[in-house]
Amino acid sequence: MKRMEKNLTQQRPRTNLKEASGRDSVLCLSALLILGIACVISLLTGKYPLSLDRILAGDPLQIQVFLTLRVPRCLMGALGGFALGTAGYVFQTVFRNPLAAPDMIGVSSGASAGAAFAILFLPSLAFSITLSSFLGGLLAVGLALGLSSLAKGYGHTGSGNSSIVLAGIAVHSLAQTLLMILKLTADPERQLASIEYWIMGSLNGITLGKIPFYCIVCLIGLAGIFLLHRQILLLSVEESEARMLGVPTGKMRLAILLLATLMVSSIISVTGIISFISLLAPHIARLLTRNNRLTTLCLSGLIGSLLLTIADILARSVASSELPVSIFTSLLGAPFLLYLILSKDSCPGRKTS
Amino acid sequence: MEGKHLTAGKGKLQEKGLQNKELKNKEMKKRELQKRELFLEVSRVSAGYGHRQVLQDLSLQAKPGELTGLLGPNGCGKTTLLRVLCRELPCHGEILLRDFSPGPSSRGHFPGGFSSGGFSSGEFSLKECSLRERARLISYIPQRSGIGISLSALDVVLMGFNPVLGLLERPSGEQTARAQDALCAVGMGEYADADYQKLSEGQKQLCILARTLVEDAPLLLLDEPESSLDFSHRHHVMRLLTSIVRGQTLYGQAPDSQAAYGQTPGKQVTLETSSIYAWKKTALVTLHDPQLALEYCSCLILLKEGRCIAALHPETDPVPRMEEALSEIYGSVHLQAIETAGKRHLIMIPCY
Repeated sequence: MKRMEKNLTQQRPRTNLKEASGRDSVLCLSALLILGIACVISLLTGKYPLSLDRILAGDPLQIQVFLTLRVPRCLMGALGGFALGTAGYVFQTVFRNPLAAPDMIGVSSGASAGAAFAILFLPSLAFSITLSSFLGGLLAVGLALGLSSLAKGYGHTGSGNSSIVLAGIAVHSLAQTLLMILKLTADPERQLASIEYWIMGSLNGITLGKIPFYCIVCLIGLAGIFLLHRQILLLSVEESEARMLGVPTGKMRLAILLLATLMVSSIISVTGIISFISLLAPHIARLLTRNNRLTTLCLSGLIGSLLLTIADILARSVASSELPVSIFTSLLGAPFLLYLILSKDSCPGRKTS
Repeated sequence: MEGKHLTAGKGKLQEKGLQNKELKNKEMKKRELQKRELFLEVSRVSAGYGHRQVLQDLSLQAKPGELTGLLGPNGCGKTTLLRVLCRELPCHGEILLRDFSPGPSSRGHFPGGFSSGGFSSGEFSLKECSLRERARLISYIPQRSGIGISLSALDVVLMGFNPVLGLLERPSGEQTARAQDALCAVGMGEYADADYQKLSEGQKQLCILARTLVEDAPLLLLDEPESSLDFSHRHHVMRLLTSIVRGQTLYGQAPDSQAAYGQTPGKQVTLETSSIYAWKKTALVTLHDPQLALEYCSCLILLKEGRCIAALHPETDPVPRMEEALSEIYGSVHLQAIETAGKRHLIMIPCY
């Protein structure tokens, strides 16, 4: 009898839950569908006109352009955007800060300094810029995380987060200074221009050879993040409470942040700085789903992919010369975010107490 | 479920070496202990921040099945003591957990001393436990939970399963059902899908209590769980706590959700059918409101300047003695007993 009563009270909430997750999957599927369409458009846009019939007919030039230029670029847009979006979600969740982004702990400035270094001193090697900026980004993050773990006694509870942020700011400014010094020594005609252009970011420089590198790194990172999703949510709980729930907060935070920055670093090293995606995509995803389930993580990634792919299409087709992709990511993302904020009565539930 | 693990473990044991066997035995004992009633004994604990010593040679005991209240003025070391017990703060001294496994005859009431028959040999130091073991042994309930992002109430409750889940494991369907049960048991069944951030403070605290239910840890540590709640929620939360601690019936009613439920007030949801909640728990709770403490706690420990100055039993101790002890920490107070429905209630009034 009492069992039955209990069951009665339970039934309603469970259906609610199903509805909510149903809505989430509809959102994800539609995002996937739009992404598919965007990818097809992306594959067919560019200076050299491609048409489906002629590729299928076996025109060798068409096939070569398709495989060596368009496919890598489309893949970069989709996978890179996905990784940036999920990395943004991870950072905002772990730091419990809606403004947190991978840039915060010095990835982008480290990568910029690394790229500038390679442009100045190793211009002849094949993948020197990619490799050097990847290492630069990782070095910066490693330095920031290492410094923060040294600062153990700093502050009271939640010291982990604030010391990482502080160390990140220090490393960020250090890398910026280094970049400035490198820029000063650069030859203003060629080298300075290419440093500036690299920093602006574009999917232009992608070649078939760079694909395996960032694909593998990104897939490892993504797999880790999706598997550790529950732990990421637990890290958003206050430090001591999370520890009492059995989360080794220090190590876990380190591992998750490393996974996220590894991905971001690998992407930035290929494309240059791409701003706003990791900041905007998770917000848009949360405003749409209004929760922080696995689907929200997924949707952050998908929206990141969409933003980057569409921005890249626009960057290629709006002007006669190629434009930096960051212009369009923020032009697309910011109004959409504003629209979502203004159209829904409340914020994504990030009430700062 | 736990039983299966144990028998599987035993099968493996025979094949392995002696050293390994000892290790496994220890591990198994600890695992078993989560399903036990544990007696907390803090002896001569000193701790502090930097050079400032907050706790000095503090000793106290807490029994399973009782709500043990910690009372004292601000800065007397209540929160510090909880942090020490959570092992967030290093300390000198010993924190022991004794396995109180009562025989069939003594079940239900506890003999005064722990030397009498009821104890098995199980005894271990909380200091030696790993983070994960600690998480399984202790359920910590903060003043207000520091959850900073949008999560459904159900997800918050599911966090309670983390200590028993593997790193990459997700809560099973059965565990989700249990979390749902726990939410219903605290009267929050309606809100399983609601955003935790948007709940009222009282509802949040109930949600955290539901998490405590699923954690099912033998030791509960509560840091002023009532401080941000209104009158009716305070009493609701304290009643719930008492019944959780006693491993008893739960009242599935939040004071403000009666209408939403469409149920008559006072109707009970019994959880004894699901065996997981049936263990008595040891609870240490810091409280600001002595009134509440006198009403609900079976044992009150009074702290002053990092020392335990008295242990009171509000149900049985003579009023003058308690008045004297409480005056020592709160300044001169007057304590009066009134009787309603056969139960003694104590009212504390300051003497000017």
